[in-house]
Amino acid sequence: MTARLLTPALVLLLIALASTSLLAGTVWLTPAQAAAALVDPRADLAQLVMVEVRLPRLVLALLVGGILGLSGAVLQGLLRNPLAEPGLLGVSSGASLGAVIAIYYGFAAGFTLATPLFALAGALATVAVALALGRTRGTLSLILAGIAVSAIAGAGVNLALNFAPSPYAAYEIMTWLMGSLVDRSWDHVALAAPFILVGSVLLFATARALDALALGEAQAESLGIHVRRTYLLALVGTALGVGAATAVTGAIGFVGLVAPHLVRAAVGQRPGATLLPATLAGAAIVLAADIATRLIRTGPEIKLGVFVAAVGAPFFLWLVLHVRRTGA
Amino acid sequence: MRRGSALLPACLAALALAGCSAGEPAVPSPGARPLRVMSLNQCADQLVLALLPPERIASVTWLSRDAGTSAMAAEAARVPVNHGQAEEVLAQSPDLVIAGSFTTPALRGMLRRLGYPLVEVEDAASFADIRRITRQIAEAVGEGARGEALIAGMDRDLAALARQPTQAVRVVAWDRSGFAGGAGTLQKAILDAAGARNVAPADAQRRPDMEALLAARPALLVQGSAAPAGASLGDDVTNHRLVRRLWSGRTLGLPQAAYVCGTPAIARAALGLSRSLRDRTS
Amino acid sequence: MIDLALEGVTLRRGGRTVLDRVDLRFPAGRLTCVIGPNGAGKSTLLGVAAGLLAPSEGSVALDGTPLAGLPRRSLARRRAFLPQSPAVEWGIPVERVVALGLTPHLPAFGALPAAWQARIDAALTRYDLHQLRRRPATQLSGGELARVMLARATVGDPELLIIDEPTAGLDPRHALDAAARLRALADEGCTVLVALHDLDLALRMADDVVAVKGGRVLAAGPALAILDDAVLSELYDTPARVIHDKHGAAVRFLA
Repeated sequence: MTARLLTPALVLLLIALASTSLLAGTVWLTPAQAAAALVDPRADLAQLVMVEVRLPRLVLALLVGGILGLSGAVLQGLLRNPLAEPGLLGVSSGASLGAVIAIYYGFAAGFTLATPLFALAGALATVAVALALGRTRGTLSLILAGIAVSAIAGAGVNLALNFAPSPYAAYEIMTWLMGSLVDRSWDHVALAAPFILVGSVLLFATARALDALALGEAQAESLGIHVRRTYLLALVGTALGVGAATAVTGAIGFVGLVAPHLVRAAVGQRPGATLLPATLAGAAIVLAADIATRLIRTGPEIKLGVFVAAVGAPFFLWLVLHVRRTGA
Repeated sequence: MRRGSALLPACLAALALAGCSAGEPAVPSPGARPLRVMSLNQCADQLVLALLPPERIASVTWLSRDAGTSAMAAEAARVPVNHGQAEEVLAQSPDLVIAGSFTTPALRGMLRRLGYPLVEVEDAASFADIRRITRQIAEAVGEGARGEALIAGMDRDLAALARQPTQAVRVVAWDRSGFAGGAGTLQKAILDAAGARNVAPADAQRRPDMEALLAARPALLVQGSAAPAGASLGDDVTNHRLVRRLWSGRTLGLPQAAYVCGTPAIARAALGLSRSLRDRTS
Repeated sequence: MIDLALEGVTLRRGGRTVLDRVDLRFPAGRLTCVIGPNGAGKSTLLGVAAGLLAPSEGSVALDGTPLAGLPRRSLARRRAFLPQSPAVEWGIPVERVVALGLTPHLPAFGALPAAWQARIDAALTRYDLHQLRRRPATQLSGGELARVMLARATVGDPELLIIDEPTAGLDPRHALDAAARLRALADEGCTVLVALHDLDLALRMADDVVAVKGGRVLAAGPALAILDDAVLSELYDTPARVIHDKHGAAVRFLA
C-alpha cells in the first residue's frame, strides 16, 4: 500500500526537483528557454548553462545523493544499527584524507584520476582497517573500530591542513571539505560515475541478505546467506561509491544517516526494501539542498555540505533521543 | 612602551645571538632610526624590504620567501625569516616590531607587556590606503624620504595609466578561490587603474559561479592564481572544460603577489597588466 | 525423509576442545533432544549438525552427502535452524518475518513471488498468527515471538529442523505448546533436533535423547533409556530420580 506508492512518489519528487534545479541558479531560465536549450544545439547562453553547467551538476547531485542514501541504508541493515552511515565507519574521512593528499601533495597535477583513486584508496583503507579490527567481535566492535579509524583519518586531514604548503592551500582544503557541487562539469561526472555505479551494484546485491540479517547472523547464515561475503560487498561497495562521491564533491554528511530513516516505516522496516527508496530519498535530499544553496543569496555562498549538516545534525539529535525512547 | 622589568629576560635571550650592549639606550628616542626592524606581517614585509637595506632588517615572515604570493621573494631570501612567534622576537631582539591585522592578539599583548616598540599596520584596500600605510611604516623606521620616493613612483605610474586611452576592457578576474576582484579589494583597484572593468556581479562576499561567467561574457579572464605550487582545488575551477573551451588564449595572468599586499609596487603591476590588456585587445 | 550422521566430529576453539570425537546418527522422522549441563557443547553440537560450524576433524553427512560438499542454498532449503533466543532487529511485520524462511527459495532480486503466499498463509494459520500478521516483530510477547520463529523455520517445509532451546523464557503453557508443535512436525516426517534444559519436556516429547558432557557424548539412545536415574545423576553431578506416575514422568534432583 504505502510501500507500493513510496517509490513512484519519490520518483515524482525527484523529477520535480530536477526540473527546478535546471531552471534555478545565477541565471534564471524559463521552462520554455530550458526546453529549447535542451533541444537546440546552438551554443547560446541558455544552452551552455543548461548542458555544460546545470546538467552535470544535476547528474552529480543524483549520483552522490543516491550513493550516500543507498550506502546508509545498507550499512544500517548490515550492522542492525539505526545510527550507522558511511561517515560512522570512517569511509568519508578516509576518502577526504586521500583526496586532500592527492591534491595538495602534487599527485593530482600528475594525472587526472589521482584524486578519485586516492580517495578510493583512503576509503578502502579505512574500511579494511575497520573490518580487520572489528569484524571478529560483532557489529558493535565494528562500529567502534570505525569511529576510531574515522578519528585517525580526521586527524590525518588536520595534519594535512597543518602542513599545507601555504595558508591559501589550507583555506582551500577547508572550503573543499565543506562539500559543494558548484561548477562541477561533465569531467567530474565521468570521473565519479563509474565507481559510483559499480559501488551501487555491489550494494544492491546485498538486499536479500540484509533482510535475512534482521534475524541475526546465525539465522541468516542458516538461510543460505554468505554473511562474510555480504560484509565484503557492503563495505567495498560503500568505499567505492562514497569514496568516488567524496572525491568530486567533498564530504557531505548526514544524508546516509537520514535517508533510510525517512523511508523505513513506509516499507515495513525491511532492510532490503529500504535500499531503492533510500537511494531516491538521498538523491532528493542532496538535490533539494543544492537548490537551496542557489536560492539563499545573502552573504557568502553557503556550502552544500554545511547546509546539509546544519539541517541534518538536529535530525541526528532527534534520532538519538527517539531511539532511546522507543528502544527500536 | 617601556622595557622595564622585561629588559633582563630579553637581554638573556639576545645574549645567545648577538650580545646585549649595556651602553645601548633601552628606549629608542622618538625620531631616531631603529637599527633593526622585525616584521610580523607579510604585507609589512614588502614595505620593510623596499625601505631598508638587509642589514637593518632583523627578519621578515617566512611567507615572503614564497614567490607565488610575495613580490619580493628574492629580497626576502637575503634576510632572516620568522614565523610570528614570541620566542623569535625575544631571540632576535629587534629595535622595532611591525605587526599587522593577522598578528594574533596574544602575541601583540605579550610584546606590549615586554615593552617592545610596536607599530601596528592595517591592510590596504585602495591606493589611498597604500599612501597612508607606506608613510606610517617609513616614518616608524626613520626613512620618511625613502617612503615619499616610493609613493611618488607609484603616483607617476598611476598618472601614466590615467593618460592612456580609456576604452575599458571587459574582464572577469579569477583567484585561487574562484573569481574575485569585488568592490573594495586591491585587485579591483589594480583592474580599474589598468583600464579593465570587472563585469562579474559586484558582490565581493559571494564568489560568482560558472553561470555568472557565462552570463557576463567577459572579453578576457584575468587569472590571479598562477602560483608555482602546482594544482590546487581552487584552480580546479580554472580547469572547467567550458573555461578551457571558451577562454583558452584569452586568459591573462596577474600573480597573486601583485595584489595581495598594498605596496607602491602594485602600480607597476597595474602598468604591466594594462600593457597586456592592450596587446590582447588591439 | 532425511538422515543426519556425525562421524568422529571434533571441534577445537582457541586451544580448547569443545566437541570430542562425537559419533551420532539422527534417523529420519524422529525428535531428538540434546541435554547436558551448561557449557557441555550442546549449542556447538547443534551448530555443527546444522552445517554452520565446520568441525576440526570428522564429518557430518546428510543422507550420505557430506555437508561440506553441499551448496549453502540447497542445504538451507532442506534444513532450518533457530539459535537460542532468536530475535528480530527491526520492526518487520510478522508476515514478512515468516516469509524470511523462504529466503533460500527466492531469486536474488525482486519481490516475493505470489506462488509462495499460500505457504506463508498456511504457516500463519498453523501457528495461530493470522491476527498478528501485520504486527511489528519488535512488539511481540515472548510466546508470540516463539511461534513466529517456528513458523519462519518451518514455512519452507524443511526436512531437518534444528532448534537451540526453543522453550527458554517461555511460561509452562507456551513451552508445552511449542513442544506439541515440534512433536507434530516430527510425526509428519521431519527430523527434529532440539537442545533442551527442561528435562520434563524432553521426557514428554523426545523419541531419542543425546546426553552431552564436557564435549563428549555420555549416552545416546531412546528417551526412556537415557532419561534414567544413573545417566542423569552422572550427567549433572547431582543425584536424580525419574518419577513415573499416572500423569507421566518427571525428573527430580535430590541435592
